[in-house]
This record gives sequence, structure tokens and C-alpha cells, in this order.
Amino acid sequence: MAAFDYAPVIVLLPFLSFLVAIGTAIFARGKNVLPKGGALPGIVAMAGALLLSIWMFVTVEAQGAYDQTLYTWASGPGEGTFTLTFGVLVDQLSAMMLVIVTLVSLLVHVFSLGYMNDEDETGLPRYYAGLGLFSASMLGFVVADNLLMAFMFFELVGLCSWLLIGFWFREPGPPSAAKKAFLVTRFGDYFFLIGVVAVFATFGTSQFSPIGGMEAFPVLAEEALTGSAEGINTFGFDAATWFNIVGLLVLGGVVGKSAQFPLHTWLPDAMEGPTPVSALIHAATMVAAGVFLVARMYGFYALIPTTLAIIAFIGGFTALFAATMGVVKREIKQVLAYSTISQYGYMMLALGGGGYVAATFHLMTHAFFKALLFLGAGSVIIAMHHNENMWDMGGLKERMPVTYYTFLSGSLALAGIFPFAGFWSKDEVLYETLVHGLGGSPLLLAAYAMGLLAVFFTGFYTFRMVLLTFHGEPRSETARNPHGVRWNVKGPLVVLGVLAATAGFANLVPVEKLTGANVDFLHDWLYHGPETLNGEHYSTLLHDVAGYTAADFSVLISAAVSLGMALAGVGLAWMLYNDPSPEEHTAKLGAVKDLWYHNYYQDEFQVWLAETGGLGIARGSDKFDQGVVDGVVNGVSSVSLFSGSRVKRVQTGVVSNYAALLTLGVVVLMVALGLYGGWFL
Amino acid sequence: MVPAQWYLLLAAAVFCIGVFGVLTRSNALMFLMSVELMLNAANINFVAFSLQWGNVTGQTFGLFTMAIAAAEVAIGIGIILVLYRNFRDTDVTSATTMRW
Repeated sequence: MAAFDYAPVIVLLPFLSFLVAIGTAIFARGKNVLPKGGALPGIVAMAGALLLSIWMFVTVEAQGAYDQTLYTWASGPGEGTFTLTFGVLVDQLSAMMLVIVTLVSLLVHVFSLGYMNDEDETGLPRYYAGLGLFSASMLGFVVADNLLMAFMFFELVGLCSWLLIGFWFREPGPPSAAKKAFLVTRFGDYFFLIGVVAVFATFGTSQFSPIGGMEAFPVLAEEALTGSAEGINTFGFDAATWFNIVGLLVLGGVVGKSAQFPLHTWLPDAMEGPTPVSALIHAATMVAAGVFLVARMYGFYALIPTTLAIIAFIGGFTALFAATMGVVKREIKQVLAYSTISQYGYMMLALGGGGYVAATFHLMTHAFFKALLFLGAGSVIIAMHHNENMWDMGGLKERMPVTYYTFLSGSLALAGIFPFAGFWSKDEVLYETLVHGLGGSPLLLAAYAMGLLAVFFTGFYTFRMVLLTFHGEPRSETARNPHGVRWNVKGPLVVLGVLAATAGFANLVPVEKLTGANVDFLHDWLYHGPETLNGEHYSTLLHDVAGYTAADFSVLISAAVSLGMALAGVGLAWMLYNDPSPEEHTAKLGAVKDLWYHNYYQDEFQVWLAETGGLGIARGSDKFDQGVVDGVVNGVSSVSLFSGSRVKRVQTGVVSNYAALLTLGVVVLMVALGLYGGWFL
Repeated sequence: MVPAQWYLLLAAAVFCIGVFGVLTRSNALMFLMSVELMLNAANINFVAFSLQWGNVTGQTFGLFTMAIAAAEVAIGIGIILVLYRNFRDTDVTSATTMRW
């Protein structure tokens, strides 16, 4: 398997570009050693990684998956001990993700030439070092073959997001946004960490698939639930209950990273970072990591219907919740931020609703069209001299046609309009949830209803954004004379624009149903994974263990309904905002608009929660720490100090006193011995 | 033969005189002499018991004690000399620099 020997190189290449960039940033401070501020090593590394990823993809197709332990960094001596390893798992899912991540990252690197270099930003080596490390950590996460390694890279991804969101650290906003992103996701990761420990404590291994004598925890969990449990410690719980607890703990990290309610608040603030970074975070790296993790260990989640229902419900709720907030925002990037939260909600909805393929499909199409939209927004922001307010834009359609048409392609995909990518994947997400919901799960139906309603809002806010930005009359001087953009901005946009229009053809389920042609390529691809890691196995598990049954329902009706909702949203936006000088119709919503504009006061609520509950607990812990724990330690030391300062006065330095004490001591000893021995009786 | 307890009483008296000297005098030379008295009180005991039990073990140890006393005096005199050199005095209460 020669091809797979190069799999770790995919991770190492961007890491190398990180080392080069950071090396020059440190050792050649201020001197322009690297051409283009370090962009070229990054671009070369990502191009290499992309080629290798495609090679992996092709090889997986030809030879099947690959799982290899590369390095054992802690091995237990025998029974009841854990072996901790770094390994590479390249199967259908991760090969697909590798291609997505490397492609988006490459395009973001190229786009950065236009967004950062051409705008004469300083600190470019630091920026490209961050991008390199970000890509490397995400790729490491994608190929991780065990949960602990995945957790490590998951944390690295979080660190990199902190570095890049806070890139403009001299302004007040970005450092605070970076800190918020770091802390909020860390709150979720805390549960993930406990989940990893719980997985080890329960199964003794965290491998995703069994290799070389190491068992895989999803397989062990499946055996536990189907009867033959051996060597599994469920801490006195019923196996299913305990697995739900473990699943929910790991889900904590997912909710934080993938910005699901209630830990979504960091993501809109993360817009403070450079726009290419937003594209990278939202499309391919950080936020995708959460959903990817659930997909990666779907063999485990497919066993626990309660957790699945919770995932679906959180997803559906987040999809609707975030979409409503996107409706009223004024900044182009804010609208996109809420659409990201909403779209990841759909992926969670699909995962919870039993649509493993649908979720993966949506992850892929979303990566393309959301990267496109962010890069398009970046292009607009360059043109508008870094003014992001859509109410100052308008009429950019004629002035920047490449950006307009690619952005339109992304918007149609986001809104889910036939035949763009988002239509196929979102439709499949909703369809899978619907059929499993009709198969006997009312909670899934509720989640489906929210997801369906969100389609309407998605169509509305997407086209509100498009119309305000590109149509009508220019509403400011900069919009009349926008700053031009070069090939390095247009190139990535065109590539992604084409992908956003066509990526949906990877999985044409409705067409297959209609014509019988075998065109659900992604479906087939994911169904041919390794024995315990393929879609077929997952659907068996869902049916046999989780008790999911799919009702017989026409995919065409479902598709028509969601398309109708999307078109209604688009139509409403068109009616209201296709005007040479549109007015703020959202103001008519009154109090609801305020509620949405202030994000349901979630930030205020969380700050309030932190200030009342969190601060109180922190104060109490501080008191306990300072008072009781430190008090005991300090008490012991001050007693010693005080008694020492008194007792030391015995040491007078006068030899006669010592002699007297000595004599006295001997006499006391004699008397005591005498009394004890009964000499005086 | 004089019974052994008389010797013991004598030894106790000599020892007490030595202790008294150590506790009350402040001259280092007087210290040394008092210590000699205490050692010799022990010697008297050795010899007295040697007489009592009719063997020479006690006398042997008496000889040992004398050797030790000689060595002790040699060191003691040395200490006193150093003491005098540093403090221009042989009063032990004036040398109080090794204190808290």
C-alpha cells in the first residue's frame, strides 16, 4: 500500500509551512525574507496536500480503506491498561474530508493574497503560520484513528482559531472575540475530555475501527447492546444508559465547536477575524470538526436513540433559531455567520435523524458554498474598503460581475434552490429526518418541522443579503466607486462558484427515485467503507439497535415542499428588497426585530448567567481555596514559624546555660525513670 | 575492707562538686577542672567495683578513662586558647556569638 505511506505527509505539509512561516517571523523580524509574506510556502504545501488527498481518494476507491498505527506513545504492560497511539485512518469519509479541507484551505491561501497581501497588512508571516497550523490540525483531526488523538487535534484547532480570530490584536474587538471563541468552545471541550476518559474507562480503547489487536469502541458498544458484553465497565449503569451519558459528554465538544445552541454565541463574534479565516473556520476546519466527529463515531451514536433524538432536536432548533437572527442583521458577514450556525444545525439534524450520508453530503456541499460566500463577502469587503454594512452597499452587480455571479451561485446553493448543491443536500437532510420521524419518533418530526421552517428563513435572509449588496442603487460613495479585485480573489471564487453549482450532483437521490438511474454516487461511496465504518453498517445499527424505522414517503414530495419553502423565502425577499433604494422592512417586525437583532439576548443572558451563577460559584470556590485549603497550609506554616521564633530563644549561646539544661535534663530523666521503675517506693 | 558504698558516696560527692563547678563558674579553666573531677568520680566508681567483684575489668576501664581525660584536656586547652585569642578572655559567658 505505497500510496497510503504518504498519508501522514498530508498533515505534515501544512505543518511544515507553519514552521517556515513562524521561523521567518521569529528569526527574520521585520525583514521581508519570504516573498508574499509567507503565502507561497503555504500555497505550495496546500497544493501538495490537495494532490496527495486526491491520490488518497483514488486509492481508497481502488484498494479500500487504510488504518495504521504510526506511533505508540504510551503502552500499558497488560490487562486493564490502555495503549495510547497516534494512527492514520483513511477511509471513505476521511478521504472525502481530506479533499474538501485541502481544497478550501488552498483557495483560502490564494484568496489571502488578495485580501491580506494586496491590502498591505502587517504581520503576514504570523497570519500564514496560523493558516498552516490550522490546516495541519484539522487534517490531523480528520485522519485521526482514535478518539484521544482526535481530541488532541480538536484542541489544536481551537487554539488556531484563537490565534487567527485575534489576528488584529491591536484593535479592541478581535482579541475579545478570540477569547470568547476559545472559552466557549473550551466549555464544550471540557465535557468532551470527560467523554474521552469515559470511553477509555468503559471500553479500554478509543480506536474508531479495530486494528492490530486493538478493539474499537463502537464495535464493543454494539456487542454490549446486542448481548455479548465482555470487559466493559458501565459503572453500575445499564449499558444503554451509560452509553447515552458517554455520547452526550462527547457531544458537548461537538456542540461547542459546531456552534450549536446554546454554545453558538462565539461564532458571530468570530467575524472579527480576517474574512479568509472566517471562510476557513466556517467551511472546512473548526466548525466542521464537530459534525465530522459525530460522523466519525457514528457507529457509536447509531446505537443510542435517545442521544440521536437530542442531536436532531438541537440541530433542528439551532437551524431555525440561527436563521431567524440572520434575517435582521446589517453586516454581510453577520448574516453569513448566522447562516453557518443554521446550516450546521441541519447537519446535526441529519445525524440525529439517521441520515449519515445526508449529513456528510451537506457537510461537503456546505463547505463549498459557505467558503464561496465568505470569500465573496471578502471580495465585497475589499471593494467597500472594509465597510461591512449592507445598507452602505447596493448596485455592486455591475461593478463586480465575477463576484456577483459566483456569490449568486453560492446563495442559490445556500437557499436550497434547484439544482444548486444546497438543494440536493438540504433536501436529503430533511427527507431522512422526515421518514425516520414518520417511522415513529415524534421528537424527530418536531425537529423536522423546525428545519423545514428554517428553509423559508434561509431563503429570505440569503436573498435579502444578495439584493441589498448587489442590486439597487449604490447607497454610498464607496459603493459607487468600489476598489477593484484581482485574479487572486476571482480565481478561488470561480472554482468554488462552479463547485457550489455542481457539487450536488454527487448524490442525486430524488433523480434516482424518479428515473431509476444509479446516480447517488456519494451514497455508494460511503456504503463501501470498512466493515464497521460504512453507511450500510450504520443504517443496520440504526434499524436493529436504535429502533429507527423509515416510513415509506416519497422523496419528491419532501423535496417539493422544501423547495417551495425556499422559493417562498426568496420570493418574499425579492418582493421586499428588489427596489432601487430599499427600505428597512425588518423594522416593521417591531419588538421581534429587536429580539432577533440582539440575538435573543443570548449574549446578555450568558453574561448574566456568568455574573450571577458563575461568579458566585467562582467566588465561593475562591473563598474555599483561599480560606480552607490555603488556610490550613498557611496555618501550619505560621504555627511553625511562631513556635520556632519562641523556641529558638533557648539557644542563648552561653555554654553554662546549655550545661544547666543538660544537667536538668539528666536529672529529670533519672527522676522519671526512677518513678517509672519504682525506686522510690 | 572498706565497703564499696563508701567509695560510691565519695564518687558521688566528687561528681556533684564537678557539676557544681560547671554550673556556677564562668572561667573556662574552671570548667575544664570540673570536668576532670567528674571523670575522676567515674574512675573511682570503676576501681571501687573492681575491688568489690575482685576482677581487673574496672581498673582497665579506669585506665581508658584516664587516656580519654588526657585527650579531652588537650582539646579543652586548645579550645580555651582559641577562646582567649578571639575574645581576650576565658570567661565562657562572654562568648555568646553562636546564638539565635
